[in-house]
Amino acid sequence: MGVLNGVTVAIILFGIGLLGLILRRDLVIKLLALGLINSSTILCLVSLNARPDGAPPLLQGNGLGAMVDPLPHALVLSAIVINFAILALALVFVMLLVERYHTTDSRRIEEEVAREEGE
Amino acid sequence: MRRFSMPFAVWATLFVTLFCGLVLFAFDYEGPRVDSLGLSSESLAYDTGAANLVSAIYLNIRLYDTLLEVLVFSVAVLGVHFYLGPRGVEEQVEGIPESHVIRTSAGLLLPVIVVLGIHLVLFGHVSPGGGFSGGVVAASGLLLCAVALGAEAVGRRFHETFLERIEWGILLSILCLACAPLALGRLPLTDVLPQGQVGSLVSSGSIVLYNVLIGLKVFIGTWVIIHFFMRHRGEI
Repeated sequence: MGVLNGVTVAIILFGIGLLGLILRRDLVIKLLALGLINSSTILCLVSLNARPDGAPPLLQGNGLGAMVDPLPHALVLSAIVINFAILALALVFVMLLVERYHTTDSRRIEEEVAREEGE
Repeated sequence: MRRFSMPFAVWATLFVTLFCGLVLFAFDYEGPRVDSLGLSSESLAYDTGAANLVSAIYLNIRLYDTLLEVLVFSVAVLGVHFYLGPRGVEEQVEGIPESHVIRTSAGLLLPVIVVLGIHLVLFGHVSPGGGFSGGVVAASGLLLCAVALGAEAVGRRFHETFLERIEWGILLSILCLACAPLALGRLPLTDVLPQGQVGSLVSSGSIVLYNVLIGLKVFIGTWVIIHFFMRHRGEI
């Protein structure tokens, strides 16, 4: 495999996601960055397990080589479902914050909260 | 609250990412192995009766993992209901303007999507698929229906209060199915039904039952989440 394989792409995506999570102030974009980090983790798990001629983990799978390890696939399934659940719940919280403070800017929300606490 | 400056954040991110990369590359990975569970693929399939080894893992030998996953999903649906339920009940969801193209294409696509979802659920143990993916596919068909006919028209037919009762009933039956072997004097989370012929539709014991229950649960849960979001926003 060359340098640009699934693992390196996953590391680059993880970096982009982390940077977005730290630097961007928009809460929705922060959630998108969180989703990007999750996708990069999934890509990393799947591509660590990949082989060019690997057969799918089905007993009647007609691949050329040996079957790939089914365990990471089962783990990734949990990761996808839990990411969906977390994203739905986090979006609800963002909606509640927007309803109360009329902005998705995390810094302005922090300032509003500080002002409310000061009063 | 302390704020980080932008160059600091960039350097910190680069450092963390490089560290993760180095750890991954230093990890002495000898290539994929099929016997990571101490089982060969054939014996895994014949022990569980499922030709799809991923299903065999997450619905048989690592069933507790899937049970907790289903619980996490239920908690998310409950959270969406709890925070969005009391709000916006009176609001009418505005439909998007009447469009022949969307309505006709929804009528053409909906049967295909629903059949694909049912196929993914029912054949999840012999081919790629399973309860989670099948349920989400069917719920996306319902979302297409909501886009074409309006969310309220679909929501009137699929009542949340009734659907949520069914959903909790399904969760209860999944837990009962997991504990059922106790009644027969065996350990919980084991499979008591006969395995059958590997690769046929009626095989793999309770994996089919779990797939159907999880598929229904994910279908209802996803629709409840989508419908609460649509009702709260007031539009699709």
